[in-house]
Amino acid sequence: MAGMFGSTVLDVAIGLVFVYLLLAIICTSANEILSGVTKSRGNLLKEGIRQLLGNQPTSGAKNDPLALFEEFYKHGLITSMMRDNRHPAYLPARTFSTVVVDLLTKDRPGRLDVGDIEAGLKALPEGGVKESLLAVVHNTGRNLGEVQLAIEGWFEDAMDRVTGWYKRKTQIWTVVLAISITLLSNADTVQIARRLWRDPVLRTAVVEEAKIRAQKPRPSVTVEYPNPDDPTNPQITSNEGNTVSPEEQALLGQVLGWQNAMQDTSKRAWLERILGWILTILAICLGAPFWFDLLNKFVNIRSAGKAPDEKPKRPEKPKMAPADKTA
Amino acid sequence: MRLLMKARPLVALLLLITLSGVCRAEITLALNKTFVQRYKDRATMTTNLNVDHYPDDAKPHGIARSGEDGDIHMAGRDSVFKLPLVAEIMNARFAPTAIQRLLDTIPEQAISVTGAWRVWFEHPGNTNHIQGNTFPVSTDSNPDHVAEIHPITKFSGIDVLSTFAEIKSTATPPKIYEAYPAETAFPYYEGLECTIKASNTAIMIASKKSIYNYADFYIELAGAPKEVSDGHLVLANVYESTSDEDEAVNAAPRRMVFVKGTEPANRLLSLPQGGRLHVLGIPRINLAEVYVIAQQNGATEVSVNLPYEMIIAAILP
Repeated sequence: MAGMFGSTVLDVAIGLVFVYLLLAIICTSANEILSGVTKSRGNLLKEGIRQLLGNQPTSGAKNDPLALFEEFYKHGLITSMMRDNRHPAYLPARTFSTVVVDLLTKDRPGRLDVGDIEAGLKALPEGGVKESLLAVVHNTGRNLGEVQLAIEGWFEDAMDRVTGWYKRKTQIWTVVLAISITLLSNADTVQIARRLWRDPVLRTAVVEEAKIRAQKPRPSVTVEYPNPDDPTNPQITSNEGNTVSPEEQALLGQVLGWQNAMQDTSKRAWLERILGWILTILAICLGAPFWFDLLNKFVNIRSAGKAPDEKPKRPEKPKMAPADKTA
Repeated sequence: MRLLMKARPLVALLLLITLSGVCRAEITLALNKTFVQRYKDRATMTTNLNVDHYPDDAKPHGIARSGEDGDIHMAGRDSVFKLPLVAEIMNARFAPTAIQRLLDTIPEQAISVTGAWRVWFEHPGNTNHIQGNTFPVSTDSNPDHVAEIHPITKFSGIDVLSTFAEIKSTATPPKIYEAYPAETAFPYYEGLECTIKASNTAIMIASKKSIYNYADFYIELAGAPKEVSDGHLVLANVYESTSDEDEAVNAAPRRMVFVKGTEPANRLLSLPQGGRLHVLGIPRINLAEVYVIAQQNGATEVSVNLPYEMIIAAILP
């Protein structure tokens, strides 16, 4: 009896982990779509650059605080990075400093020195960039390379803030999506655990599907080489582990959902429901790789033939075409 | 009792939460993005090394298996990696001039060292490794480190390319080093995991300790070798033997790194169609793959199988 109890507890745990994993995969996919649609990284990068350059009129547009910022985006080095007028997701610090120095010294022919940059800055109307970069130049040596490095440092400090914004934005969206997915599908952890506990047929089906999932690749990014003759050009490819199969979708439909969910409207039922939703939201936020790793451990414990830390199973056969014998 | 029975689903949940804590004990390596860009498709690196520690009398390791690999380790600080660094001459018994040069090194005098750069979480210790941070001078020839120059090709101007050969003793008959077989090492490498994320200036790789330094395996090319400034890169499948009935032990073709001027590189270029090479290899993190993952995902941390490639250190009989 104790063994049966233990086995059921483990199967319910496997079922819960499996459901969390599938919901986390759905959340990640939704987040990626959202990030692509909103072009959020590129937009945040532009906002970061606006904070750096956005308070600086130029001698040609003395009343326009965005003049230098706009000139920056008209520079050939920057326009060459735009595709279909889309802002790049990354901007090398070197490119930034080269463009800024070029804008400051565009009227000066020949080889540049620090004096040219200083003169270019002094020729600007009063503004944030003039103040900041004069401080940067005065605190650096008289070597042009050092000044460029200092400008790169100024940019990188700003980009660290942009990275922070992006991370926070991603985290916020993850939480928002986790809440949406949980409520739309009524993914109530307490209810799911109860259903799995009470329904041995459903439990067995979920555990069997979980075992299949555990054999799939870890939900993650995969890198492949599209041209086998070019080992310097790896590309990101989608991974089978990042998608929810039709069988898994069908099973999720049986475990989750709003059918008959509101029969009990007592205060206690509502408290349990809210607790269940909160647990699911927290679980989704932990991410798919986390739940995949845990699922593998539980499945290994259940099969009892393999310890959790035993050496990994032999990998799948190569996905790429076999050796080109003429190569 | 009834209450306890009713709470059984919650017991399952508690079990789940308790066991979920076992997943992470990782060390983070933060590399400058410019460094990654510069070295991702290069076989080697040249750096100026202040040798802080090497074994007494510069005696190489014995030859047997595992860490008894005939290398000589030297720990130090350098001008390129800017991380706790260990440089290793492979087959050091066959490089007496270089060993004498090591014995002649003067503290705080940097010497030029060239060799295959290597990043691997073999001896990560318990602290994160941040490129460019200051770190204490090593008092041990094998301190906590993830950065290596291994194998060395040129030590203070002394060419040691000939050490890229089967590891053996100088005795007659020689004692041969027993590397990890492909069927042990590669499933392990393929199963290693890490997380990667980037800031605008750095790439962070977090992973657990990784083992199996030298592996004995066969490669069959999956594409043509590509020449880079200091070597050749090629995609290849990995096998346990020459048997055509073997299945590859790697999940997808892996990048192999050959250092220019070594016997393995010369043999690669004359490999007949469909031929297999029996090689001795050393794993290192594949920075080209790390870079593309970091570029794609930016500050979003992604969990991936550890991207790795093999430095081909010797042709085996």
